[in-house]
Amino acid sequence: MRKLIIICSLFACLYGKVRVVSSTSDIANIVKIIGGENVTVTSIARGNQDPHYVEILPSYMVKVRKADIYFMVGMELDLWAQQIIDGSRNQKVMVVDCSVEINKMEVPTGQIDASMGDIHRFGNPHYWLDPENGKLIASVITEKLSNYDPKNSDAYKANLSQFEKDLDSAMSKWNKRFSMLKDKKIIFYHNSWPYFSKRFGLITVGFLEPKPGITPSPSQLNQVINQIKENDIEVIASESYFSDRAPKFIESKTNVRTVKLAQSVGAIEGADSYINLFETNLDILAKAYGVSYD
Amino acid sequence: MLKKLIGGLFIVSISFGQTTANPQFSVVGDLIMDDLQKNPNLYSSGIEIAVQGYVNPFARADVYLHKHNDESAMELEEAVMTIERGLPFGLGLRVGKFRPDLGKINKDHAHLFPFIEAPSGMANILGEEFWAGTGLEASIFLPLPWYSNFSIGSFDSGLGGHNHGSEKEDVHYEDKDEHKEKDEHDHGKNEKQEQVFSARWGNFFELNNINHIEIGTSYYRDPENNLMGADFKYKWRPNKYRSITIQGEIVLLNIKKEHHDEVHKGEYKIKSDAGYLMINYQFNKSFNFGIIGDYYKETYKETEINPSIFFGFSPVEESTVFRLKVGQVEDHESHKKHLKTTAQIIWSLGPHKPHRY
Repeated sequence: MRKLIIICSLFACLYGKVRVVSSTSDIANIVKIIGGENVTVTSIARGNQDPHYVEILPSYMVKVRKADIYFMVGMELDLWAQQIIDGSRNQKVMVVDCSVEINKMEVPTGQIDASMGDIHRFGNPHYWLDPENGKLIASVITEKLSNYDPKNSDAYKANLSQFEKDLDSAMSKWNKRFSMLKDKKIIFYHNSWPYFSKRFGLITVGFLEPKPGITPSPSQLNQVINQIKENDIEVIASESYFSDRAPKFIESKTNVRTVKLAQSVGAIEGADSYINLFETNLDILAKAYGVSYD
Repeated sequence: MLKKLIGGLFIVSISFGQTTANPQFSVVGDLIMDDLQKNPNLYSSGIEIAVQGYVNPFARADVYLHKHNDESAMELEEAVMTIERGLPFGLGLRVGKFRPDLGKINKDHAHLFPFIEAPSGMANILGEEFWAGTGLEASIFLPLPWYSNFSIGSFDSGLGGHNHGSEKEDVHYEDKDEHKEKDEHDHGKNEKQEQVFSARWGNFFELNNINHIEIGTSYYRDPENNLMGADFKYKWRPNKYRSITIQGEIVLLNIKKEHHDEVHKGEYKIKSDAGYLMINYQFNKSFNFGIIGDYYKETYKETEINPSIFFGFSPVEESTVFRLKVGQVEDHESHKKHLKTTAQIIWSLGPHKPHRY
């Protein structure tokens, strides 16, 4: 009898909630903030996974099968999502591209082909790494949740407003605390950080990958070593999912410090929410540069 | 009837087509260095051309053409429309010529194998390039807490109908007693078979974020043969570039034959069993290493068990892959076993690629 009551309670809790699936943990976290108690949300890619490549598992199709809304990153980052959505055979799911409102960076012009590496036709897709873009993502999520579930529209709008306030307050705090990071030169492993660098004033000097998605070759590493020596670069930052080998090799040949940053919510310890993602990354960078902050 | 139905479905799909956007085109090519110890030779198995895209909001189409590196005409490997939306009860439907859902390996194209060539035992039963039939296949998700898919299909040609210049098998079956005459061992290679039916029940269990298991059972029947199969796959994948895959499959084929001489009369049965067990370790972005044991047994023949080791190197993601295989093979003339080393370079243009992590 007790089991039956538990099952009924669970069913009652789940019933009436908007079922959301998102491609990445960042979007899932924002959906959770905006949707609150009125949504259930699951992310396909884990925070510490490379969002460019996700192995399509049948279990993902089961997750999407009962979903009401699927939020994609878009800009050809999560091309795999379409296969999962198709495979789920869910005819009613609303598919939303979160990149629609984004002011896109690094949109290539002219002919694009594989000689350029893994280049994205619609621009650099790592837009969630700018907190201002987080607001735009939240606004799209609010609109779609409100359309789907109008009776809770006021709650979604109130949560959006609170989220924007929290981000603004965090931004003004970060601008003061981490102002010493401005104009610091940095080398990244992969080109995931243009939105982040622009927002926080970092100057990207180069990448370990010779071209996007291409493993660094010994000659590329030598080039980077020379670049570090010539430009007096202090920090190499890489995404959590890359191997330490190449950065550590360079560290052993120069005075550079290597750090791992959270490219998504949940990628590393401390980055457990969208706001904490920036807090954690800025904290790691400030320590790596040895700049003082409160 | 079957052909009319397929034709009808294609016409419907074309009539409702809503896009003028081009489909995706891909080409996969290779270079193979075979039998490096005994009789080294260099050749290409040709190119595969893939054309893929959405037909309309409800269906997609995949066409695979293979041009062998010889005088033969271009071969249609697959031309299939997959209806994924719009059907009742969450049904899925594939129509056209395609590799049916039979076992684990039958649906994979050879360029996806980390071990270069298909396991020879499986190739003896499914055909050198595996089984592709023209027909239709319906599938449904069973209402279970895990991914459970049941598919059932009807086709116009049976096992072994997708061979290209299969001299290997012809040699393999020569020089045997009355039961092993070539025509009796072709496992239904005639293309006129009717009422071919296949079914598969596949299950997928996500144990946690990095461990998952797939288990499947298959059944196949045509007027002369029936087949039962079981397959499994376990994968441990802590990140994109590191994984261990253990995959195995076994198929049991019963072939019904009739004696054509005066001494023996009536029906008799031949049994063929084949299987493989593979362990593949992808230890970083570029390298993988593994072993495969290949098994084949047939009535009146000795059991063949051939182990191999294989190695793969992908310098730039999955668009170019170098593979090496060293394995034991049996010489079909002398029946002696020897080591054979095969190397392959495989490349691709477009989204249909030779390798997946």
